[in-house]
Amino acid sequence: MAAIVRLSSVCRRGVRPLLYQSTLLSRPLVVPHKYQEQPHLLTARIHASQALYAGAGSKAASMHWTAERALSILLLAMGPVAYFSPGPVIDYSLAAALTLHGHWGLGQVLTDYVHGDAKIKAANAGLFLLSTVTFAGLCYFNYNDVGICKAIALLWSK
Amino acid sequence: MIIKSHQRPITWTNAIRQRAGRHLRVLVTQTHPVFNMSAICVSLSRNLLVARSCGVMVMGRSVQTAAAPVTEPRIKKFQVYRWDPDSAGDKPRMQTYEIDLDRCGPMVLDALIKIKNEMDPTLTFRRSCREGICGSCAMNINGGNTLACLNKIDTNTNKPTKIYPLPHMYVVKDLVPDMSNFYAQYKSIEPYLKKKDEAQEGKEQYFQSVEDRQKLDGLYECILCACCSTSCPSYWWNGDKYLGPAVLMQAYRWMIDSRDEFTEERLSKLQDPFSLYRCHTIMNCTKTCPKGLNPGKAIAEIKKMMATYQEKKAAAS
Repeated sequence: MAAIVRLSSVCRRGVRPLLYQSTLLSRPLVVPHKYQEQPHLLTARIHASQALYAGAGSKAASMHWTAERALSILLLAMGPVAYFSPGPVIDYSLAAALTLHGHWGLGQVLTDYVHGDAKIKAANAGLFLLSTVTFAGLCYFNYNDVGICKAIALLWSK
Repeated sequence: MIIKSHQRPITWTNAIRQRAGRHLRVLVTQTHPVFNMSAICVSLSRNLLVARSCGVMVMGRSVQTAAAPVTEPRIKKFQVYRWDPDSAGDKPRMQTYEIDLDRCGPMVLDALIKIKNEMDPTLTFRRSCREGICGSCAMNINGGNTLACLNKIDTNTNKPTKIYPLPHMYVVKDLVPDMSNFYAQYKSIEPYLKKKDEAQEGKEQYFQSVEDRQKLDGLYECILCACCSTSCPSYWWNGDKYLGPAVLMQAYRWMIDSRDEFTEERLSKLQDPFSLYRCHTIMNCTKTCPKGLNPGKAIAEIKKMMATYQEKKAAAS
C-alpha cells in the first residue's frame, strides 16, 4: 500500500522532483517561510543539484572519450598515408573515419546546446541521417569517381 | 600616528567639509590608519564610518599637499548592475557612481564599500575578508570574473569600470548571485577523506609522504569563489548537469589524495556525458582564476584517469 501511495506521488509530481532533491537547497537566510508568495525567490528552487547520472560500472562515457581521442590520432596519421600511398583502402578508411569524427563532434555540439528530451531525440535523428548520407555519398564517390585521395590531389593539379 | 584636526592645513578642512556630504557634521579629531584599514565593523553607525574614512582622506591629502600642489580630482565612474527583487516590476539597470580616486582605497572592493557607506546604502554585494581568502566578493569586473578585493581599480579615468554579478547565475539582488546550485554540486562530490575501513577511524593519524602532499599543492588553495565555473561557457549552458571547473578540481584533489581510498568510486561517479565531459578545454577557468590555480589541467588529469582507472583496479586485484 505504501508503495502505491509513493508511486502515485511520483506520478503526480513527475520523476524530476525526485532526482532534484530540494533538501540540498535550504537557504534559511534568504528564503523566508512564505517563499511561495514571492515569485522572484522561486529562482532559488528551480535549479537543484544534479543527480549524478552514472550507471554503476558503466564506462560508456570514458570509453567514448577515449575512442574520440584515438580516432583523432588515427585521422592525423591517415593524412601522410593518403599522401604517400593513395588507393581504395585509404579512400574508404578516410570516408569512415571522417564521417565518424564529424558525427561524434557534432554530437558533442548537440549535447551542449540542444535541451529537452524531444528536441534531443529529433536532433540526434537528424544527425544520424546526415552522417549516413555523408558516408554513403563518400562511398559512392570512391566507387564511381576518382576517390577522396585523388580528388584532393587534383586540387593542386591545375 | 594620530592626526589632530588643528594639524591639518585649514584649506583642506574646508574642502573636506564641502565634499564629505550630508552625513559629516563633525570632523574627526583623531584617526588611527591601521584601524581604518581593518575590516568594517557592522555595528558602527554609518555616520561614524563616514567620519572615520574622512579622517584617512585627510591624512592622505595632507601628505600629498606637502609633496606637490594637488591639481584636478581624479573622478572615476563606476557602472554597477542594480536589480532589486523587492520592488515589483523592477528591471535590471546600470547605475553610475562617481568616485574621487584620491579619496578611495586602491581596490574595486574599496570603491564598492565607499559607495555603500557614503553614496548609496542600498547597493548590495557580498564581502568579508577583503584579502582574497574568503571568495565572497567574486564578481564580473570589466568583463572578467575576479575578486573585487584583489582587483585594482583601473586608474584611467576616461573609462568607466563596469561591475556585474557573476555571469549566468541567478541574481538574488544587485551583485549577489545565488550560489545554491554551486554548493550543492560541491557537496555531491563528497569533498572529504573517505576510508574503506571505518572501524579504524580516529585511532591514529593518516600519514602522508612529502611527495604525496606536494601533489595537493595548486589544488587545495581553491577558495570556491566560483569565478572559474561561471566563466565557463559549458557551465553557462549546462550548469544544472555539468559540475564545472571549481567542483571538478576539488573532485580531483580528493581522487589523488594518497590517504583517500575511494578513487575508483569517485571516478565512476563521473561516468556520464555531462558531469565531466562537458569540458571542452576552453580554459576560461584557468585564465580567470584569481588565485592563479589551473582547474583546466585538473580536469584534463581526471579525463586521463577516467580512461585508465579500471585497469589499475584489475592490476591491483
